[in-house]
Amino acid sequence: MYDLIFFLVLLLLGYVFGQHAEKKHFRSIIEREKQLRGILTFSERRIPDEANLQGTLVSGSVVISVDFFKNFVAGLRNLVGGRVSAYESLLERARREAVLRMKEKAQDFGAASVWNVRLETASIGKGRQQGGVGSVEVVAYGTAVKPR
Amino acid sequence: MADYENPEIPEGINVSPTHPLKDFALLVAGISALLIVAVLAVSLLAGQLARHIPFEQEQALAASLGRWLPEPPDSPVDRQRQQYLQSLADRLAGTMELPPEMPITMHYSSSKTLNAMATLGGHVVVFQGLIDTLPSENALAMVLAHEIAHVRHRDPVVAMGRGFAVMLALSSLSGVGDGALQQWLGGVGMLPILSFSRSQEEAADATALQAVLDLYGHVGDAAAFFEEVAERQSAAHSPTMFNTHPDVNQRIARIREFSARHARPQPPSATSLPGFMKAT
Repeated sequence: MYDLIFFLVLLLLGYVFGQHAEKKHFRSIIEREKQLRGILTFSERRIPDEANLQGTLVSGSVVISVDFFKNFVAGLRNLVGGRVSAYESLLERARREAVLRMKEKAQDFGAASVWNVRLETASIGKGRQQGGVGSVEVVAYGTAVKPR
Repeated sequence: MADYENPEIPEGINVSPTHPLKDFALLVAGISALLIVAVLAVSLLAGQLARHIPFEQEQALAASLGRWLPEPPDSPVDRQRQQYLQSLADRLAGTMELPPEMPITMHYSSSKTLNAMATLGGHVVVFQGLIDTLPSENALAMVLAHEIAHVRHRDPVVAMGRGFAVMLALSSLSGVGDGALQQWLGGVGMLPILSFSRSQEEAADATALQAVLDLYGHVGDAAAFFEEVAERQSAAHSPTMFNTHPDVNQRIARIREFSARHARPQPPSATSLPGFMKAT
């Protein structure tokens, strides 16, 4: 019985804090994306007008933890299959945050665009103990260029 | 450079628009329902199969699990009490037409617990706490007959078979999830087991009433134990071990109805308990 109460409290805490953090994070992401709209990002490998440009590697990485609630819902989803919407928003946040951090580096460099942008995703704590909470890491990197 | 641009990406295209709580509720409700149906099916099947376990096998199993049965009494009065319980049980077993290979073994415990129970292998335990609340031998016979009826209906082995099958099924299923999920599955999966033993209790009550009627010719005092329980429950300390049993008031009503059907012109007199049976 106490186990169940403990579990429900964890679930509630996970939901309340997880949702709060997610909403706050999305607001901040949208705000900063507007500020950094001037810096363009492309996945194109060949940089046009390469000879007249100076480039450098920029990267941004972020680690976001799964909350208890999302973890539980995803665990249930594992049984029946389908879209794990609990993790979709988590990964969306991580991707956008990583790109933003990369853009900030590009801004510091004075670049107006980043080319050959790549995203890598890794889960942290995959072979975790039972009941633990995993995290996701997203790293974005690319070549920032400015006129020579 | 001019050919390249970053269009503004609309919000929410990468995330399903479902509210997380709705997703959660649907998953919990759906999987709970599936689980309950599956557990019901598994436990019904296991119960049906367990019923066919030969009684000899059940006795052998009970012998290997029997450590928790009360120790044989060492004081002479306790031995006398056990012998009395055994002879009463044997008389009841005779009227209930128990098969010869299904002997009832009575165990007496001087503990103050208000309870009696039947377990695997025809072992029935009666606690002094229960005997102290009963007004007559008829009342005790009703309780004993109820426990013997459980043995005759093979309820202990059915309960064990069900419990084992459900535990096995749930632990093999929850092996894929994490700790929290396992806990939740375990909690939901045990629900149907409780409601199941209710029908067994009712069947045992009916068999016991018939046995008491056959033995004494009337069913006076048969409801005494339940009346005692009802009184204690209304006195706001409800004994937890009756939670799986049907509502006591319903049981009293059923017994009264039965005794009304078998009413006799002269009020029957109850057989009193031997003096040595009472602790005080």
